[in-house]
Amino acid sequence: MLEATIRVTNTLGLHARAAARLVRLAATFSSSVTIRRSDTDSEANAKDILSVLGIAASRGVELHIIVDGSDETDALEQITSLFNDNFGED
Amino acid sequence: MSDTKRIGGVIISHGQLANELVGATEAVVGDLAHIRAVSIGWHDDVEMAKGEIEQAIKEVSQGIGVLLLTDMFGGTPTNIAAMFLDSNDVEIVTGVNLPMVIKLASTTREPTLHDLAKEVESQGKEAICRATTLLVPQKLKKDA
Repeated sequence: MLEATIRVTNTLGLHARAAARLVRLAATFSSSVTIRRSDTDSEANAKDILSVLGIAASRGVELHIIVDGSDETDALEQITSLFNDNFGED
Repeated sequence: MSDTKRIGGVIISHGQLANELVGATEAVVGDLAHIRAVSIGWHDDVEMAKGEIEQAIKEVSQGIGVLLLTDMFGGTPTNIAAMFLDSNDVEIVTGVNLPMVIKLASTTREPTLHDLAKEVESQGKEAICRATTLLVPQKLKKDA
């Protein structure tokens, strides 16, 4: 199991389109991918868009990304990159 | 694309609501080959609307059931949709909202039609909340 801490920095936060990109990426890995808010401890399965939207992670929120499985190294690297690239948005 | 069979979906509403719900879902989830929208105009003939729903059911059916999501219990779209309930392959959930369509669109497992109908119903209810009970506690404190 690997874990990283990131902060949501894109203007609109983890809104529907950004969440959809995260889910599409997470679904390419066999590892489980969980995101957890640092402030409320609410968790989401990153392969389920409604679960991701349910934690309402707006700009500035700190998240833990937890990956577990055979391809966890790649998964963590690519998912943190997606957040760090602001999902290709502002 | 996988060859796994999927439960079909038809979203049925007054006016253009169904088209817009499917369009919004498509923007989030991607291509929705197994879902159709039937928007019933305020002055449409019932037989014509029934024919459109029947055609949509045929188009999305992969042989394991079709879930009809209608806008409002008691409304014409639901009443027309109910004409298809004598088939075991059809279930209806009323009060459709965007999370329900997204749930239907993004379920890739193979639940039974009955189970999927229950999941979509539950998702629709869970998605309705007073956002202030979940968000910005600091704002509530400030306003207190």
